[in-house]
Amino acid sequence: MASTGQGKKRTARPAAKKSARAVRAKKDSGGQPAGDAKPPASTMDWMNDSPEWGMRAQPGKKGMTLDDIAIGSYGEIPDRSEEMTRMPRGAFHVPGVPRLEFYPLSKKVDLWADNAAGLYEEAIQRRWMAHVDVPWGTLEPLPRDLELSMCQLCTELAQQATIETDSIGQWIGRMNYAYYEVKTFLASELYDSARHYDVFRTRALANGGALGMESPGMINRRIIESRAGWTETAVFMYLLRGPFTLMLYRYGEAYALNAAEKRLFRLCIQDKARHLAYGMAHAKYAISEMGDDYAVGMLRMMSGVERDMATEMKDPVLWEALAIIFGGGLENISSGMEVVEELQKRYVNEYMARMQWVGIDKTLDNLAPDLAAYVKQESGAAS
Amino acid sequence: MATVTEHQTYWEKAKDSGFDLGWLNQLKENVVGQEVAEVSDNLTGRVEGSIPRPGVAQFGAYPFRTKKEVWGYNLRKLYEEFVTRQWSSATDIPWETLEELPDDIEAAECQLATFFAQVEFVAADVPGRFISTMSPDYQEVRMALLGQVMDESRHLDVFRKRALANGGGLMRMIDSVTDVVGGSTDNAREYTELSTRMHIVGEGNVLTLFRLGELMAYNEAEKAIYRRCAQDEARHVAIGVLHARYMKECSPERIEEMHSYLDEAENRQSSGAGGENPAARNMLTSEALAVLLGGGKDKADEGQKILMAVRQKQVKEYFQRLKSAGLDDRITNGRVNPSLLEAYNSA
Ligand SMILES: [Fe+2]
Ligand SMILES: [Fe+2]
Repeated sequence: MASTGQGKKRTARPAAKKSARAVRAKKDSGGQPAGDAKPPASTMDWMNDSPEWGMRAQPGKKGMTLDDIAIGSYGEIPDRSEEMTRMPRGAFHVPGVPRLEFYPLSKKVDLWADNAAGLYEEAIQRRWMAHVDVPWGTLEPLPRDLELSMCQLCTELAQQATIETDSIGQWIGRMNYAYYEVKTFLASELYDSARHYDVFRTRALANGGALGMESPGMINRRIIESRAGWTETAVFMYLLRGPFTLMLYRYGEAYALNAAEKRLFRLCIQDKARHLAYGMAHAKYAISEMGDDYAVGMLRMMSGVERDMATEMKDPVLWEALAIIFGGGLENISSGMEVVEELQKRYVNEYMARMQWVGIDKTLDNLAPDLAAYVKQESGAAS
Repeated sequence: MATVTEHQTYWEKAKDSGFDLGWLNQLKENVVGQEVAEVSDNLTGRVEGSIPRPGVAQFGAYPFRTKKEVWGYNLRKLYEEFVTRQWSSATDIPWETLEELPDDIEAAECQLATFFAQVEFVAADVPGRFISTMSPDYQEVRMALLGQVMDESRHLDVFRKRALANGGGLMRMIDSVTDVVGGSTDNAREYTELSTRMHIVGEGNVLTLFRLGELMAYNEAEKAIYRRCAQDEARHVAIGVLHARYMKECSPERIEEMHSYLDEAENRQSSGAGGENPAARNMLTSEALAVLLGGGKDKADEGQKILMAVRQKQVKEYFQRLKSAGLDDRITNGRVNPSLLEAYNSA
């Protein structure tokens, strides 16, 4: 589909003609649109300006969703948009309105995913409340080392949520309004990230423990400093970091020390799965549109980032904390470490599989050697 | 639980096996206080109260890193309200109550919905930018703003849904020039500037309008939309009022500057310049509102009279907010915009 710099003109009602004000504004580029100071005479001519008069969206089984209103021209997603105002997609375009903003992300390929609208509605339907939905009353005193290990895990996860907030916060305002489904989905992810921060920090401090060490920060840095595009950022955030976060949540749920943790990890898994569903779908779409060169570029870009990931994975703090949790105490840290090794191996495998799924040819041969080592290592734990 | 001796044995055994465990000792020493740092040295995105590591690149480089710039009272409590009062535009609005409306009413309702679908998300885009540039040591502020981002997203979507649900569709884009006078929300580069103008004035005006939603609604669905949006908007306004109160107490040297932002915002409010107040004179939406308030195109004159009362109500509520924020001296010392004062006095 072509670019939509100009919105539709109304066609449905019989008295259709281009609105007088629109024509006036076009003739006189120094015209005085509403709100400029000089009032136009009341004409009510805007009443004729709906491009789709008579079209009605119908609610479906899940209520009135964004997918239900993607009807007629309202559901047409432009390949690119030259509209640099916040004009709602499909509204009647008035010529001569000055640019409001420069949106660098104004092409569908830059940010789109078909599932964004559905995921946005799902985020709202499945919302939860950290202070209400987690049975905090089930927390009971734990051995000190075990408690502090859980605190360390929660500190890491709260920081990962903070980085997600900071990254999306930087990008969301640079996205063109023609792709409002993506903007609203990312708003829901921002909100999720607040909840994740909150629930993990709360857990860290809820049972007599403390906050742990900050993250080594190498991947956080990569995510925040990513400038080449939203898609590049998405690959860092949803393909490299995201599966790692999700893996930590899954193991967190499996090895939860009480019902509160079980529940909070389970709820976070739902949220994170949604984030990854968008990120993966977007990366796949962008790569399929951009072609092989782009995919190769991504592959090369990731080789440096993978080295940072490998360096970060050499840091013992998180792994030792997890080993204590998985072993059920300091006394079983060695057997817990076997589970950690299984987690590491599964994570690296999953990273490669996800890269392949989106169209980036990541294999053991081109993976950073220090990451490949995790896959090749013999794990003593059952998988 | 293990005895002290047993624990010692486990520890030594783990150390002998090559585990570091240095971090565990550090955690044992870490005391997390309630105090919020006046100046944040957290440039790595670490969680407030966590243990910094030396040598981490300062990639956060947050421009907003003093409490004085961003803090507000009781934002934690406000965040919990954000969380508790979320709703779904898909399922919490009785869409089935929409019935065919006269063309002029439908067009007016849709023109107003188009306005909101166009402007609501500015209060997500811009706060999003501020959140990501604010030290995580001020997480309470960030979380309240993140709650607002979610709300505004829903406001964009619920008004788009309304426009598309009953035959009218999206109408004319809002063609106001936001930069016609200084001080648009988009342009704010400083948090207090943003908050003063957006939370206290811009969203305050919209809040009044949403609160009067019964007057503009023609069915239960529309009533529910306005009522729920009003609840949300009240929280956004509260972020600004709680910040202003904090500033009044802790940064009195900036009060004069805040009054300057209010000068600009009041100018925009009273003249309709910038296109932020849908009820302002000269706005496309004021015609739509007159149709809705009067009960039809042919009763728009009657509607304009009601709209005048709506504007007066906006001013009245704005003055109350100034009082609550501790900025009401401008009402009596001659600084407040004369046309607002006139509207207030003639109410
Ligand atoms: Fe809003
Ligand atoms: Fe708002």
